[in-house]
Amino acid sequence: MEIHSMHFKARAGQKMADVVLQQNLKKTRSKFVDKRANAIRQLDDFEDLRTAAQELRDRVINNLDLWLERFEEEATRRGATVLWARDGAEVCRLTVDIARKHGVTMAVKSKSMLSEEAALNQALEAAGIRPVETDLGEYILQINNNEPPSHIVAPVFHKSKEEISALFARTHGLPPKTGIEEMAREAREVLRPHFLSAGMGISGGNFLVAETGSVALVTNEGNGRMVTTMPDVHVAITGIEKVVPTLEDLATLMRLLPRSATGQSISNYFSLLTGVKKPDDSDGPRHMYFILVDNGRADLVAGEYAAMLRCIRCGACMNHCPVYQSIGGHAYGWVYPGPMGSVLTPLLGGIENALDLPQASTLCNQCGSVCPVNIPLPDLLRKLRERQLKNGLRPLSERLLLRSWSWLARHPRCYTLAAQLGARYLRWLGEDGKRIRVLGLMPEWTTGRDLPAPPGKTFRELYAARARARK
Amino acid sequence: MNTRENILARLRGSLGRNAENGAHGRAIINEYLAAHTKGPQPKISGDLLARFCEESKKLSSSVDEVTSLRDVPQAVARYLAEHKLPTQAVCWPEFASLDWRGAQLDVASRTVDGRDPVGITGCHSAIAETGTLILCSSPLTPAALSLLPETHIVIVPAGCIVGVMEDAWQRVRTEVSTGKAGWPRAINFISGPSRTGDIEQTIVLGAHGPYRVHIVIVRE
Amino acid sequence: MRVGLLVTCLIDMLRPRIGFATLELLEAAGCSVVVPQTQTCCGQPAYNSGDRTATRQLAIKLLGEFEDCAYVVVPSGACAGMVRKHYAELITDDPALAQRMATLAAKTYELTEFLVNVAKIENMPGNHTGSVTYHDSCSGLRELGIKAQPRRLLARLPGVTLKEMPDAEECCGFGGAFSVKFGELSAAIAERKCNSIHTAAADVVVGGDLGCLLNIEGKLRRMGDETTRVLHIAELLAGVCGDGSEGC
Repeated sequence: MEIHSMHFKARAGQKMADVVLQQNLKKTRSKFVDKRANAIRQLDDFEDLRTAAQELRDRVINNLDLWLERFEEEATRRGATVLWARDGAEVCRLTVDIARKHGVTMAVKSKSMLSEEAALNQALEAAGIRPVETDLGEYILQINNNEPPSHIVAPVFHKSKEEISALFARTHGLPPKTGIEEMAREAREVLRPHFLSAGMGISGGNFLVAETGSVALVTNEGNGRMVTTMPDVHVAITGIEKVVPTLEDLATLMRLLPRSATGQSISNYFSLLTGVKKPDDSDGPRHMYFILVDNGRADLVAGEYAAMLRCIRCGACMNHCPVYQSIGGHAYGWVYPGPMGSVLTPLLGGIENALDLPQASTLCNQCGSVCPVNIPLPDLLRKLRERQLKNGLRPLSERLLLRSWSWLARHPRCYTLAAQLGARYLRWLGEDGKRIRVLGLMPEWTTGRDLPAPPGKTFRELYAARARARK
Repeated sequence: MNTRENILARLRGSLGRNAENGAHGRAIINEYLAAHTKGPQPKISGDLLARFCEESKKLSSSVDEVTSLRDVPQAVARYLAEHKLPTQAVCWPEFASLDWRGAQLDVASRTVDGRDPVGITGCHSAIAETGTLILCSSPLTPAALSLLPETHIVIVPAGCIVGVMEDAWQRVRTEVSTGKAGWPRAINFISGPSRTGDIEQTIVLGAHGPYRVHIVIVRE
Repeated sequence: MRVGLLVTCLIDMLRPRIGFATLELLEAAGCSVVVPQTQTCCGQPAYNSGDRTATRQLAIKLLGEFEDCAYVVVPSGACAGMVRKHYAELITDDPALAQRMATLAAKTYELTEFLVNVAKIENMPGNHTGSVTYHDSCSGLRELGIKAQPRRLLARLPGVTLKEMPDAEECCGFGGAFSVKFGELSAAIAERKCNSIHTAAADVVVGGDLGCLLNIEGKLRRMGDETTRVLHIAELLAGVCGDGSEGC
């Protein structure tokens, strides 16, 4: 997917002014947060689990080459073909080649964020292969002119049911439905024939299990199972960092992922898929392909951002982020929004293409405090800010301001004078000595709120005066 | 250099991989894979059956209990009548010989197709911690029966209920290693009817999989 | 106890009254307080903007000013958090210096945690009567675990009724430079916080960080709320609440 993160600030402004979006965000804001909180409360020891999860993810990341080789061995042994892709273009090329090899004209897809990174649907269409999204949220986006998702777990977090109803009526040519249940049934009936006739199923992979050479899929709708059971060919596309060592490790992560994502104790469907259809099996694919994707991940290993590779794509960080809650996911301009997107987009897409993302954070750490694998998100955002500064990517005015402030702070006598002048100036600006409505120096503050006017003298000058008076 | 080599070479470079630490690393991997070390697990003690039933109901499955396998057809007929559901079903071969006819049900053991309204399966095991059913694919236990029909009925012997997911993995491993079966192509964990929350984060049952899951526990 | 008061740049310039209130509380708790005169800023603005070099320089300066105090007390969770959680890792090339930073970190406290856990203050001069709601500033809460301490202190004022707001732990949107780089976003988040405050329907909103309080007060007033008072917890506990006073 093309990166549009350089337009973050403008888009964020549009999203804040988007009345329908704001209503939708308001309705859903607390749902994920409350459900997650309830689900986590049921665990005996969340901290223990998080530590175990962090350790098992680091175990793989710190030896990713060896674990990938092991996974490849096991998967191949069981009849799958393991392919590797450097970037999105290669993902598309490999998938189209597989489709052509097997004479596929229509492919059903369950959720794959990697396929979004690679803009796979467009490539398939260009090659004359029709991709059909089956995850309800992804399907809605597809029929809405391939709109990008706004959340990694809930792709149409930003849409109201009225919007969806209208979209269905337009696309399916059926009378518009008012109830959510009716809409889900309509989607089920429209999509069912595609599952049964598709030549290929394309999925992502929540985890790759090295022990058994398997892919683990976490879904609620059943489309993940359909896509990987009915068609003759299954292609699983995942990032290289998704390897998990053992089935026990999978169980540990499965205690955290559904709870962190949607507040469920376990997802509706959890499938471990290993190899191909056996001679006597009545269902399952005869051909299984893994596409292991780099797209910038290999460069993060052993570096200062390696912790980001632990991510299990639960979405808890964005659900708890005050910035995400204010604007939704599209403003972030790429596949991944919220805090994890603000770290991944510059790292995978180029730091200069997403300058605002690491800056647009209060570093409140609501994200880090809910991350099931303890990714220190504010630290990573700060490191990106450092990198931007070092690479000369910050505006001159900002650098000058920062430089001046730091210089003053190291020169107490000059600082004292500057602070006194500043305090008096701000007091002078204030109406009734109470508030400043317009602050020319920093209009971003006063566009949305007042600045309480200071009394006009600094603490240190008053304290010094008091000390003198007492002598 | 092909992509695979390129990616592995860059990883090896970043990680300072050499022959020595590579050999050592692989040894550690082998050890770790053999150890099957478990992470923190909740204590699931006491009546596993009761816990399983409780959790299943939370997931919107319905639960019934019968004494023996012979009682299953009547129990299923009762359920279908109560919910005004069709009396035609497809089942796994192991249940073909039950007296479905006697319960006025038309049950056949064959490949399911998109129009079959009811699928009757057994299960490999069931997890009390979360009310989850585990179905392993094989020629005699095809996965599609639990997926395509609108109603999924599962016959669960009480003895196959385990406490946690880790116990289920252990069972599968043991069966595979004692040659009872090869590693299943698909191990499907099913926790209730299919659902979606994609529209306004409101959960509705019956997405692409079954609308309802009815569990019949066989005590003996 | 010889306590060094780190008054913070925001309090120094924009609300000295909080500094004097803090002094009063520390003296009421039996401390002898010094206020190193050359102190300026803990360096957090530079740190969060990605300038580690400048931050390190400011950290070393602060170390020099406060090193020989038995404790360093700060009426700000953000600044206390900066010293306690981030100073030591700034020094990567000098183990002895890093150790001195770690020692400094270990004796640096936010005001309410110092009063409750270390000084174990008994009597406070404050005599406010009315309802109060408490905003949990992010750094204090998530870096230092400050949650119970201010509430414990508020409970000791007989005239004060605590009314918790919904989402007390949600960020207010200040975030330092964020408030002036992404002002619209910052104000939108502040509005949600102010709505929570209004739900609590208390006379006063209290917090431990002036940055948050200026943001909240500015937003309340712009929303047309002229009556909800916004005070630092030091001001409430020390009874230094008069408007327009220039120090005590």
